[in-house]
Amino acid sequence: MDVDDLIFQGADYHYKGELDKAIAKFQAAVRIEPQNEYAHNQLGILYAKKERFDAAFREFQKVAQIDGHNTYALLWLGILYLKQGNLNQGFEKFQRIIEIDPSNADAYYFLGAIYNFRHNTTKAIKYLKKARDADSDESDTHYRLAQAFHNLDMTTNALLEYQRTLALKPSHTKAINGIGWLYYNRGERDAAIAEWKKTLKMNPRDRDAIFNLAKAYNDLAWEAMKRNKPKEAISYWKKTLGVDPKNKAAVHYLKKYGA
Amino acid sequence: MDRRHFLRWIGKGILGTSGFWLCARGVAWGKSAFEYALEGQNLIAAKRLAEARDVLKEAVRLDPKSDWAHGLLGRAYYGLGQRAEAVAAFREAVRINSADTYSRMMIEIITQKPIPKPKKPRRSLTPLEKKARAEEEAMLSQLTPEGGLAYRVKRVVIDPGHGGFDSGAVGPTGLKEKDVTLDLAQSVRRKISEEGSIKCFLTRTGDYYIPLSDRTVIANQYQADLFVSIHINANENRKAHGCETYYCSEKASSKEAARVAAFENAVLKYDEPFKKRPGYIDIEEILFNFERRLYWEESGKFARTFQNRFEQALPFKSRGVHSANFFVLRRAKMPSILLETGFISNHDEEAALKKASIRDEIVAAVIRGLLNGRG
Ligand SMILES: [Zn+2]
Repeated sequence: MDVDDLIFQGADYHYKGELDKAIAKFQAAVRIEPQNEYAHNQLGILYAKKERFDAAFREFQKVAQIDGHNTYALLWLGILYLKQGNLNQGFEKFQRIIEIDPSNADAYYFLGAIYNFRHNTTKAIKYLKKARDADSDESDTHYRLAQAFHNLDMTTNALLEYQRTLALKPSHTKAINGIGWLYYNRGERDAAIAEWKKTLKMNPRDRDAIFNLAKAYNDLAWEAMKRNKPKEAISYWKKTLGVDPKNKAAVHYLKKYGA
Repeated sequence: MDRRHFLRWIGKGILGTSGFWLCARGVAWGKSAFEYALEGQNLIAAKRLAEARDVLKEAVRLDPKSDWAHGLLGRAYYGLGQRAEAVAAFREAVRINSADTYSRMMIEIITQKPIPKPKKPRRSLTPLEKKARAEEEAMLSQLTPEGGLAYRVKRVVIDPGHGGFDSGAVGPTGLKEKDVTLDLAQSVRRKISEEGSIKCFLTRTGDYYIPLSDRTVIANQYQADLFVSIHINANENRKAHGCETYYCSEKASSKEAARVAAFENAVLKYDEPFKKRPGYIDIEEILFNFERRLYWEESGKFARTFQNRFEQALPFKSRGVHSANFFVLRRAKMPSILLETGFISNHDEEAALKKASIRDEIVAAVIRGLLNGRG
């Protein structure tokens, strides 16, 4: 059978989710044409989907050897390095990609994410902005950029990027939770609580939203106690238990001050 | 795939098989989109690609909803080496008909390597965008860009252990852990604020109880770069003494710890509604795991740094660095460590912990540990 037919059939199986059949076709293709970059890349992705990451790595490496400008293979090599926990090698691959292709949104995204993980926020912002400008349709690019701005107390930019995240993906609960903190830290407690409740509506088990709400209610309860308003405090501790029934602070203080 | 391959495909007739034509509309005068597309297909087969491209452009102009015509146009562009235009045409074909395997495959083949990107038209800014731009200009001009991948600490949350009804450990003469930890934490904050290069937040500022979950929430609230929980150790054996530092580790120290960690991490992982799809590679999950692993590694480094400072500066024996699965460390989204600065259950160390001079030494050691992480 001809290589092109094998590749077409492999691609078709892949789209239909028949991974093993796709693998067989692409394997046959590279036996006939060992230099076929697309077939090797497809094998790489297919192996990765089957969680055969070492085999996937070898396929992408083959492609990079055939043509060092195949940025698709370089990107996956970078991702697989991160999967191994190899910061420097992953970083190097993404750097290489933007040398080859200065408009590669994916490489900028990973570089920005890596700088975020190192809490080197100015660098993270620099790269994530490039990722955003090269491709503004990725919700996670906006989210990570929002986080970086948030870390620098650039709250307007953080809010804007959280909102852009949600415009692309309304169920991005981490962005909603982040907006909650922006509000909370500038004293808008009710607005913050409303955000975290939004998250719980989407996912009642969202631990961040649960613990954020519990903390907010506990804070409000303590402030009420300081103002000598025990009844109000009790109502807040009850709200704490409403979201986090085992919250030790609320359980204890309700026992102590409650009816 | 190179040009040679492309032309081989043309010869084999795969080209006409993808996509389908819904209606051959009769047009009273002039050529129909269908006729243009058909002509384009024949021109491609005859390798007259420039002419094919021009008639196919006319075909998609007349019928923008024809995936078949868009796919053919993509092939003509690709044959002519106009890769960006080819991708745009194939994308349009796939947008109209997601089952168009050939066009999908061609997009993948072409985008393996860089293609020039079309410029997006500028639009006017919203009020929030204008405000954001002003903020950015004001902020980023003050910051010096920093290179390198070293971990940076600019914001730290200090967590004085225990508080309120939870006294923590109590010494032989009644010294309470919660009081010592609060005093130490407040001194650290005061001194680090004077120093000026690190912002410092406390999880509690008085003698009240806050649950463990609140403590990491506060670290997340302030987007801290490092979380430091301060405790004083205790043991039934009054002879036990010395200081040690804990961090959260990837490798659990026991089977039970591994089980607890697996459970906790599973919950942590999917706070967001998440559909695990078979045959799907979740990049964000890879990044999540990578980030956590980096923080664990970094926590280990911080733990060793702090313990070294204690060894150099404190009159307590060093008990070294340990890893364990503390809830309070586990949920923090940053490197986090837990200090046990002496044994309150030990007579001599309880006496030492009462002294202002010893507390000053502990505070100074903590601050040196923090400044070490500025990067
Ligand atoms: Zn303790």
